[in-house]
Amino acid sequence: MRIDYHIKDKFDFELLFPVIILFIAGLAAIYSSTINNPAAQGNFQKQLVLGVFALIVFFVTYSLPTKLFKVAAVPGYILSLLLLVVVLVIGKKVSGSRSWISIGFLGFQPSELAKITTIFSMALFLTKSNINIDSLKDLLFALAIGLIPVMLILLEPDMGTAIVFLGMIITLIFWKGISSFGLFVVLSPVFVALASLFGIAYFLASLAIIIVVLLIFKKNIFFSGSIFALNLAAGFFTDYVYKVLSPHQQKRIQAFMDPMSDPLGSGYNSIQAKVAIGSGGLTGKGFLSGNQTQLQFIPEQWTDFVYCVIGEEFGFIGSIIILGLFFYLFTRILKIAYSSKDEFLSLVAIGILSVYFVHFAINLGMVVGIMPVIGIPLPFVSYGGSSLLVNMFMLGIVANIYRTRKNYT
Amino acid sequence: MKSESFASPQRRTIIYLTILISVAVVGFRLFEMQILNSESYELKSSDNSIKQVVVSPLRGIFYDRNMEVLVGNSPAYILRIIPSDYDKKLNNLLEKVIDADSGFISEVLDKNKHFSKYLPVKIKKGIDFNVVAWIEENSENLPGVDYIIEMHRNYPAGVSGSHMFGYIKEISAKQLETEKEHYRQGDNVGCNGIEKTYEKNLRGIKGNRFILVDSKRKKIGSYKKGDNDHPPLKGQDLVLTIDADVQRVAEEEFKGKRGALVAIEPSTGEILALLSAPDYDLNQFSYLTSKDFLSQLYNDPEKPLFNRATMSVKPPGSTFKVLEAITALALGSITPSTTFFCGGGITYGRFFRCHGSHGRVNVIKAIEKSCNTFFYQLIYKIGLEPWKQYAEMFGFNNKTNIDIGEESKGLIPDEKYYERIYGEKWPRSIMASLGIGQGEVSVTPIQLALYAALLANNGKTFEPHLVKGYFDETTNKLVRYKFKERNVDIEKKYFDFVKEGMFLVVNGKGTATHIRSEDFEICGKTGTSQNPHGKDHALFVGFAPYKDPQIAFAIVVENVGFGGTHAAPIAKKIVEVYLNKLKRNTSKLDESITQVESRDLLN
Repeated sequence: MRIDYHIKDKFDFELLFPVIILFIAGLAAIYSSTINNPAAQGNFQKQLVLGVFALIVFFVTYSLPTKLFKVAAVPGYILSLLLLVVVLVIGKKVSGSRSWISIGFLGFQPSELAKITTIFSMALFLTKSNINIDSLKDLLFALAIGLIPVMLILLEPDMGTAIVFLGMIITLIFWKGISSFGLFVVLSPVFVALASLFGIAYFLASLAIIIVVLLIFKKNIFFSGSIFALNLAAGFFTDYVYKVLSPHQQKRIQAFMDPMSDPLGSGYNSIQAKVAIGSGGLTGKGFLSGNQTQLQFIPEQWTDFVYCVIGEEFGFIGSIIILGLFFYLFTRILKIAYSSKDEFLSLVAIGILSVYFVHFAINLGMVVGIMPVIGIPLPFVSYGGSSLLVNMFMLGIVANIYRTRKNYT
Repeated sequence: MKSESFASPQRRTIIYLTILISVAVVGFRLFEMQILNSESYELKSSDNSIKQVVVSPLRGIFYDRNMEVLVGNSPAYILRIIPSDYDKKLNNLLEKVIDADSGFISEVLDKNKHFSKYLPVKIKKGIDFNVVAWIEENSENLPGVDYIIEMHRNYPAGVSGSHMFGYIKEISAKQLETEKEHYRQGDNVGCNGIEKTYEKNLRGIKGNRFILVDSKRKKIGSYKKGDNDHPPLKGQDLVLTIDADVQRVAEEEFKGKRGALVAIEPSTGEILALLSAPDYDLNQFSYLTSKDFLSQLYNDPEKPLFNRATMSVKPPGSTFKVLEAITALALGSITPSTTFFCGGGITYGRFFRCHGSHGRVNVIKAIEKSCNTFFYQLIYKIGLEPWKQYAEMFGFNNKTNIDIGEESKGLIPDEKYYERIYGEKWPRSIMASLGIGQGEVSVTPIQLALYAALLANNGKTFEPHLVKGYFDETTNKLVRYKFKERNVDIEKKYFDFVKEGMFLVVNGKGTATHIRSEDFEICGKTGTSQNPHGKDHALFVGFAPYKDPQIAFAIVVENVGFGGTHAAPIAKKIVEVYLNKLKRNTSKLDESITQVESRDLLN
């Protein structure tokens, strides 16, 4: 019993366990959605092999010395930026975005690597001894580290990944302890930008709210004025970004605002996804028996819309179990982040949590029809090797942080 | 617990709440969809759903130069069974109707067991229309039985054309991987010949249609009367340069022979006929392509899949003497009045024979009589390198860029080549054989045809091609593809000298006087390609009529012996067919179609 206790002290089964179940559920869904699709034959086997490989990656990362993450932060970050530039030049276009580099038969997304190296670099910067996150200089520097890759990713253009980065950046500075006013300064442009998407009236209304909040904070007039100007700029910048979006992404945002306006175009996937999940009922139609899935109403269902397969074939019970597993995983990582004695590692863990969480929220929000269709995968469940490997790599880091949580630096 | 300044409990709580609220929102939404409104979604799912289906376009067809259909499409009905709805008791009845052996259907269904029971299984291709009518009438009593129509290639003109047309085949997994945006599993794609080269033009653009289907994937009707449908765009209908009549005659002449024939319109590079014998029956590819048929073709010792017209290489024999003559004239190595003495042969290291004693002959006479002695000497006057340079100007030692797939380059040896093989001191006597087109030199039939076209049209033609352009149904016009020009920079008077020699081959006292025609002045040059493995190959290269040539040709008949005897009569046949036709001026194309536009190939 002592030995068992010892293992539990070093290895967090509660972290790996939900992930294994999620992966197996994903495999079942991939199997079900590809069995009738001759063009997707072999995806199940590929995912299974990559799963084993990803598990190895997990254990290797788990056993690395945590110092390595600090050492690798800056070189890794610079390499990521270089690759993000390279991908713009030689990248392979997949559904409108130039985000893949092919090495032989392998595909690789530099933005996946950039996620983790950006977390490292921001965490490294934020744990420098003389940092004051509420000073404009330090805040801007921290934001710059995070936003440079975002700019490059928007050029691909890959809206989904850019949003993941934004969530990650905000979470990191929040965890570092930014004041509520500082957080307001960072978040308000995002808020205004989103509002401006809905039209000029919403844009003006959001600006009005900003003015009210600025008045409440009672900072000096010059400072308040600058922040207002920043928000104004964000609104116009959004307009620019919207135009940068590929037409299919623009259509998806329009379709989200009113899916029934175009039931056969951009709204098609969204409606079919809802029908699939809704028709699953309490217990689902049974494995391999969901007619929406088996008749392939949703194209490439094994990737971003994989949750529909579970919703349709395993019903409310199955869907809720998946939801519960994610919730369990997230609270577990949060606990690890909180209990780590090393601030750098604590920030890394919270950054990883934010990456998982934003993927989860956008993907499920999209699938159940409360968010626009932005194509990002559901961690550990969706088909896709690149994302599975990176997610297991990050999970390995979290497990590593658990292992070393009592070490002071 | 917590002593550090970072990660305050409040912030931990805020993040916790954010996660909790998000999960709760999704959870509530699931509850609403799957429990509260489940019935309405179920209704949508099972009663009727809008489904997007891809509609394949009709593949472009081939016309000949006079708008006769060479390759067309015809519908074939395919009987299918959807296992999930099907009742096995129907097996016996269906087998009787489609005239299949007992147990056939369960066998096919067994083979497809590992696919989903919702997926239709193709039971038999090419079922009779009566069967289709019977299925329509009794559909109520035939659950899970339906049929679809697929288009197949047919060849209504009675032209085989196997090597130039090519065939279509289900796309391979490998090709599918690289061209995912255009193809889906089960699509057909052009293999070989024109079907392959012009695949992008022929395949058209896929459309899509929205239909209402029930949970069994059965179509209930169109969605919004098809307002949202995008109809497919038919592939381009190609107008070939081939003349069906000439091609048919050529194919008839080559029955039971081995060899190749290419006929070209000299002024345009348009190929009037192209064949490689033996050929194979393209109809065999139309229905379920049996693997047996393909492997049978692969293993046939006669190599019917091999396109002899573009890929077989042989020494050109005496047909090359015309090239040598015009080269010597153009370089000034000889004048038209220069004569050599032929006493039945000449000695270069060893004795090189001529097939007669021609006495003093000039260049025109030498071509007419095919005097070896003259040309043995001539090649030394020209020199190996200039000879090679002129041969290349006429298109040898290179691909002609004909618009169908594989092609051999042949070989024109030079000094480096001989040095590589025999060392620096290679015996110069080897060159004598080259003078009469034997030895290491090798050419393809398509190269010889290009050479004939260049001679006929005084050094000007276009790269040989099989497709003129496509027929635009909306404007009723031919839209031409562009092809590159080919030029040989030699003065016209030199062409006139050698062409006079070629005229005399048939119409003087030459080697092919037996094909002299009352109606048309045929010019040509016989050749015999030495074959160390068996009987020699017969060659005939030429054009007609003498003044203002309309057709140039190269004919190779393998393993039959002397060229004048075996290859030349075929030339006469095709020349007569084609020129008689031109005389009657039956070209429908020129009447009905004005040729206005030009577009780049494969665009």
